[in-house]
Amino acid sequence: MSQPLSASPQPPAARRLASDEILDLVLQTIRTSNQSRDAASQLEVSPGAVIFGAGSPLDSLGLVALLLDLEDEMRAAGCPVALGDERAMSQKRSPFRTVSSLVEYIATIVRE
Amino acid sequence: MAGRHVLITGATRGIGEALVRHCLDAGDSVFGCGRTPSAVSHPQYTHFCVDVTAPAAVAQLFEDVRTQAATLDVLINNAGVASMNAIVLTPDETARRIVDTNVLAPFTFTRLAVRLLRRSPAARIVNLSSVAVPLRLEGEAIYAASKSALETFTRIAARELGQFGITCNAVGPSPIRTALVAGVPDAKLQAMVDAQAVRRWATTADVVNVVDFFLRPESSMITGQVVYLGGAG
Repeated sequence: MSQPLSASPQPPAARRLASDEILDLVLQTIRTSNQSRDAASQLEVSPGAVIFGAGSPLDSLGLVALLLDLEDEMRAAGCPVALGDERAMSQKRSPFRTVSSLVEYIATIVRE
Repeated sequence: MAGRHVLITGATRGIGEALVRHCLDAGDSVFGCGRTPSAVSHPQYTHFCVDVTAPAAVAQLFEDVRTQAATLDVLINNAGVASMNAIVLTPDETARRIVDTNVLAPFTFTRLAVRLLRRSPAARIVNLSSVAVPLRLEGEAIYAASKSALETFTRIAARELGQFGITCNAVGPSPIRTALVAGVPDAKLQAMVDAQAVRRWATTADVVNVVDFFLRPESSMITGQVVYLGGAG
């Protein structure tokens, strides 16, 4: 059957999450992802934790997996986002470097 | 593995339509897209009229696939355009259209599909390359360069996506009588066929056979590979 896009079902309107709600989702995602990591690769679960770069056990592929899990959590919470940024892999400027910078980054996207 | 959810670009005709029909015959649910409506009518087939180089339309397509299927098992980046011309005589706009369709569209589809593919127990991405890459034919510089880029993308995607159990491979068809080569002189195509190890024109069934091999659950160790038809390369 041919289906023009205009006939497609529209997703429900996205919720605009507050920063503390985003923080809860980020921490929950880290907790869940830690379950599939060995003891030496556990991420700290706290607002000040480092996610990527010096002091983190995550490599770039691990960061990708974590962010995809977080996208799923955000979507399930009614706030779908696409976490992509050209600074993603920067050791110094990545918005994904710490929990707090990640929360700030997502909050900015959600506001747009 | 029957009952897969399969997304095929450039599904309206030629190799794409053959892949759609093959997957439907195998019991899969198939999403196809193309610039024009499809002649395929099947309860397990959904067709989207989408320009693969239009990011917003492609993003909406994935929202619709997510709504209807929740997950994907297979992405086949088949949509492609060709232009036979000398470098000196090729307009910039033509070159951009070829790169947009043959390189950037597969990138966008892959980027968005990974979100749905990573839940599959046997996720597969297959890209359509061409024997124009190893043959380095005069008059196909930008087309062959675009397919060469797609092959490199395939190999690196295989490494990046391996952690999610997603394989990524490519097939490079030798000349097939499809609309894609309608503007290429027959003598030139025949010369390519005559230079092959297997000196016959390929068919869409030959391409389907290679794709089917990549899609098998038993092919989970096959990734980052490019298979050319006819012995080129």
